[in-house]
Amino acid sequence: MSRTLALFVCLALCCSANDGLAQKKKASRKPVTLRGKNAKRSKKKSATKSQKLPALKTVADKQKFLEVIRESMPTRRVSTKIRYLPADLDNSLEYRVGRDSDFAPLIDDERFVRRVHLDLVGRPPSVKVIRDFVADETGSKRAALVNRLMKTEQFARKWARYWKNVIFHESTAPRSRTNPQALENWLTEQFRKGTSWDRIVAELVSAMPVRNKKKKKEKNAWSQKTGQNNFVLAYENKPPLLASQTARLFMGISIQCAECHDHPFDDWKREQFHELAAFFSKGKYYMPGMGNADKKTEMKPRFLLGEQPTVKLTSHQRRVAVAAYLVYNQDNYWFARSFVNRIWNELVGDGFYAVDSLGPDQECLHPSVVNRIAAVFRYRDFDPRWVFRLLTNSRAYQREIRTIEKDEELFTAVRPIRLNADQVKASVLRLTGPDRTIGRDLDREFRADPSLPQRDREGSVQQSLLLMNNATLHRKLNNGRLKKQLVMVKAPRALLNRLYLAVLSRRPTSREISRGLDHLMTVKNRAEAVEDLLWVLVNSTEFLTKR
Amino acid sequence: MIPSIPTLALDAEVTRRGALGFGLGLSASALLSPLGLHAEQLKREGRSCILVWLAGGPSQMETWDPKPGAPNAGSTKAIRTAVPGLSVAEHWPKLARRIKDVAVVRTMVGKEAAHARGTYHVHTGRRMGGPEKHPNFGAVVAAELGDPGSDLPNFVSIGKTLSSGFLGVKFAPFEVTRAGQLPANVSKGVTAPRLARRLALLKGQDDEFAEAGAKARVVEHRVLYERARRLMASPKLKSFRLDDEPASQQQAYGKSRFGQGLLVARRLIESGVPFVEVRHGGWDMHNSLFQKIEPSSADVDRGVSVLLSDLKNRGRLGQTLVIVAGEFGRTPKINKKTPAPGRDHWARNFNLLLAGGGVRGGRVVGKTSANGQEIVERPVMVEDLFQTLCRVLRIDASKELSPPNGRPLKIVDGGQAISEILG
Repeated sequence: MSRTLALFVCLALCCSANDGLAQKKKASRKPVTLRGKNAKRSKKKSATKSQKLPALKTVADKQKFLEVIRESMPTRRVSTKIRYLPADLDNSLEYRVGRDSDFAPLIDDERFVRRVHLDLVGRPPSVKVIRDFVADETGSKRAALVNRLMKTEQFARKWARYWKNVIFHESTAPRSRTNPQALENWLTEQFRKGTSWDRIVAELVSAMPVRNKKKKKEKNAWSQKTGQNNFVLAYENKPPLLASQTARLFMGISIQCAECHDHPFDDWKREQFHELAAFFSKGKYYMPGMGNADKKTEMKPRFLLGEQPTVKLTSHQRRVAVAAYLVYNQDNYWFARSFVNRIWNELVGDGFYAVDSLGPDQECLHPSVVNRIAAVFRYRDFDPRWVFRLLTNSRAYQREIRTIEKDEELFTAVRPIRLNADQVKASVLRLTGPDRTIGRDLDREFRADPSLPQRDREGSVQQSLLLMNNATLHRKLNNGRLKKQLVMVKAPRALLNRLYLAVLSRRPTSREISRGLDHLMTVKNRAEAVEDLLWVLVNSTEFLTKR
Repeated sequence: MIPSIPTLALDAEVTRRGALGFGLGLSASALLSPLGLHAEQLKREGRSCILVWLAGGPSQMETWDPKPGAPNAGSTKAIRTAVPGLSVAEHWPKLARRIKDVAVVRTMVGKEAAHARGTYHVHTGRRMGGPEKHPNFGAVVAAELGDPGSDLPNFVSIGKTLSSGFLGVKFAPFEVTRAGQLPANVSKGVTAPRLARRLALLKGQDDEFAEAGAKARVVEHRVLYERARRLMASPKLKSFRLDDEPASQQQAYGKSRFGQGLLVARRLIESGVPFVEVRHGGWDMHNSLFQKIEPSSADVDRGVSVLLSDLKNRGRLGQTLVIVAGEFGRTPKINKKTPAPGRDHWARNFNLLLAGGGVRGGRVVGKTSANGQEIVERPVMVEDLFQTLCRVLRIDASKELSPPNGRPLKIVDGGQAISEILG
C-alpha cells in the first residue's frame, strides 16, 4: 500500500513537468488516465524530467498542484455511497463500551442549548434564544440548531481561534516574525467557506515564506500577514520543529523525543524523525550525531510510513511533497483520525487518546469506532462540519454530565469540563457589558494549553481571586443592565428565574428557588440582595463549567 | 522569620485526583486543616532561594568576567574586589566590595542561543523539546520545600517567568506585576459578614451542582476558593507591601521596580515563601551595549549588594541562596550595529553569581581565554549548576518526579555539584 503511495506524489510531480501547470485542470478531470499514463513516463525519464518540475514557489501553484493529487484520491470516487449517521456512531460506541453500562440519560433542552452554543460558537445563548428553543415543538430542532449555528461567523471564528491557540501554544518564535491574528483570520475565512481540512492543512504545511531583507521584521518581512504562513513561522521555519509539530498537530503523534534518541516507549527511530525533518530543510539536511553533535549524517526526506520521493526535489517542492504524504495518503489514517479525536475531545471531554501524544504502540480506546469516523470523514472530503454535525447530534454528545474516574466509564456520560478563556470571557462580558480590561485579565488568567487533556486542566487561585474580587468586574456587574432589570422585577420567583436564565442559561431548581427566596427575605435591600446572588452565580463552579 | 508550622494536609501527595478518592464526604476545608509537623521540613532549616533573573542575556565581559586590555574589551575596564586577584567589570563596585559573600561562576556552558530556549534551559535544567513541559526550578523548590498549608503561594515571581510545567497549577509561579503592592484582586470589595453570607450561598449552589454530576469539578473549585479566601485573609499578605519598611531601607535597595522587588523578595522569604524570582529586563544589548550597560548594572549592583548585606544582618544569608543569572552570554566579538555597537547572543560560555545558603564566597569557578572565546578551565554544565542548587537547598536531586503520561524524571539528570564552592 505505502509503496503505491510513494510513487503517487512523484507521479503527480512528473506529470506536471510534462503537462505544465496550465494543463493540469484538464488532467485533473481524468485522474485515472493521469496515473496510468505517467506511471510509464516517470520510470523512463524521472531523473531528467525532475529538472523541469514546476517550481511551486507561489501559494497558488502549490494549491493547484495539491489539487491534482487530491483529485486522484480513490476516496473521491466512492464518497457519495457512504452513509454514517449519529445513530450508527452511537450503536457501535455503545456496543464497544458495553450495552449494560450505566449510560447517563440525555440532557434536556436547556442544557443542550447552552452546551451546543458554548461548543460551536464559544458563548452561552441569550435568554431569548433559550426560551424560543425550549418552546419550539419541532422534533428535529436540535439538529436544526446545530446547522444554524454552524452557518454563523462565530462558529468559524471560534474554531479558528482554537486552532490558532493550538498552533501557537508551543511556539517560541519572536513576535515580530509571526502574526497569529492573520492566521486566525485566514482560518476563520476557511471555516466560514467550508474549506476542507485537507486543503487547510496542506496549505499550512506547504507554505515556505522567505524573508524579505529589505523590510523590517515587524513590517511583514516574513510575509507573516499572509495567514497561512504562520504555522511555519510559528516554528521559525526550523526543520526539526516543523517535523515534530506537523506530527503532533496534524497526526496526533508525539515523536519529539525521537529527535535525540530512539523513542523509549514507541517504535520511532531517530532516523525517522530526521527523515521527516529533511522535507522542511532548505538545502541538504543533516542528523546530528548521538554522542557527538558534530558527527553529522545526511538524511534524505522520507515520510513516517516510508514514503519517499523518487526524484530530486527543490525545497518548495519538498514542502508540497510532505503535505501530500501527510494529507493525500490512504495509509496515513492518523491524519483524519487526529482531527476527529481533537474535536471529540473538545466536545465530549475525553478523546479516544490524548490529542497530541499518540505513538504507534500507545493505546487508543475503542479504535474501531474512532477509525470508522475518521474513514468516513475522509470519504466526506474532510468536511469539518460533517464531524461537528455527527458528534453534536449523537447520544454520546447529548448525555448528562458525570464525574468520570475510570477509563471504563468514558463515554457513558459527558465529562463536566472547564470553559476555556474565550468561553469564560464571553460568559462574563455578556453580564458586565464589553470591557477591555476585564477581557484582558480574564484572558491572562484563564489561558491554558488547548492540547492538554481535559481531565488534566486545572484552575488557579488567581482565577478565583479575579472572579471574587476584581473591582472593575463587580462594579460593572453591579451597575449593569442585568442587575437593574432584576431589581425592577417585583415578584421574587420571576426575579430568580430571570437571574438563573441570564447567568447559568437555565431555570432554577426548587432548592435554588427556596434558597433565593430566603435570601431575598433576609436581605431587605433588594439591590444588595441581587448583587449577592449575582456574585454567587458568577463564582459558582457551574458558571465555569460546560454542563 | 521562623517558617510557619508546616502541615500535611494539602500535601504534594494529595493530588487533585487523589483528593477525589476521599469523595465529597471530606470537604475542602477539612483537606486544608493542619494535621501536624512534617518531619522532613525540619531538616530543611527553612531554606529558601531568590533568583535574580537578568532577562535578555547579560554580557559576561561587562559583568563578572572582564577582559581588560583585550582587543575586544570595548571601553569596559576592570576593578579590583575585596578578594585579591579577583576583578569584575567596573560597573559593579558595590558587589566588588561584597565579593567575599559571592561565588562567581565564569564558565557556564550554554547550549541555547535563543531567548526562549535559553530561558527554559537555565530555568529548568533541561533543554526545550520533547513532550514534557519541564517545571521551572522555582516550582520544584515550591514542591520540595514549600509548606503545603501556607497561606502564601510557595513560588512568587515579581515579573513574568516560566511556568511550573507538568508540576501543575499548585506550584505555578504567583506572578506579581507591581512590586510593593498587594497582588491583584486580593482585597475583598465587601464587608466580611457580607462575604461570609455570599460564601454560604455559594456552598449551597455548588453542593447541588456536585450532586448533578460535577463532584470532581466542585471539589477542585472549593480547594481553589479556600486557598483564595485564606490568602485574602492572611496577615502575611503584608509581605507584598513595603509600608512597614523604613524609608531608608527602601531607599537603600533602590527606588526602581527592581530594587523594590528585591526588598519584597526578602520579606516574602521571611514569611516562609521558599522561592522568589525577581526579574530585571533589558540585557539583550545587541546595540549600544556600552551605553546601556552602566545604568542596568548600577540598578542590579546596588540592589543585589544591599540584599546580601540585609540578609546577612538579619541572620538569613546562611539559609538563603541568591542566584544572579541570565539565559546566556554575549559574543566576545563586538558587532557593528547602529547607532552604537553591541554584542550578540553567545551560548558557548556565560557567567553567573551564587551567594548565601552556605556557598563559599570570594571564589571564582573556571577560567576563560584572554579573548573570552573559549573555556580554558573547569567548564560547568547547566546540570552541574542544578546539582549545586539542589545541594545548597537540601533537595534530593535524584528524586523522581512523575510527569503525566510520561516516564519518571529525576529532578536533575546528570551533572555534579560544584564542590569547590560548597562549604
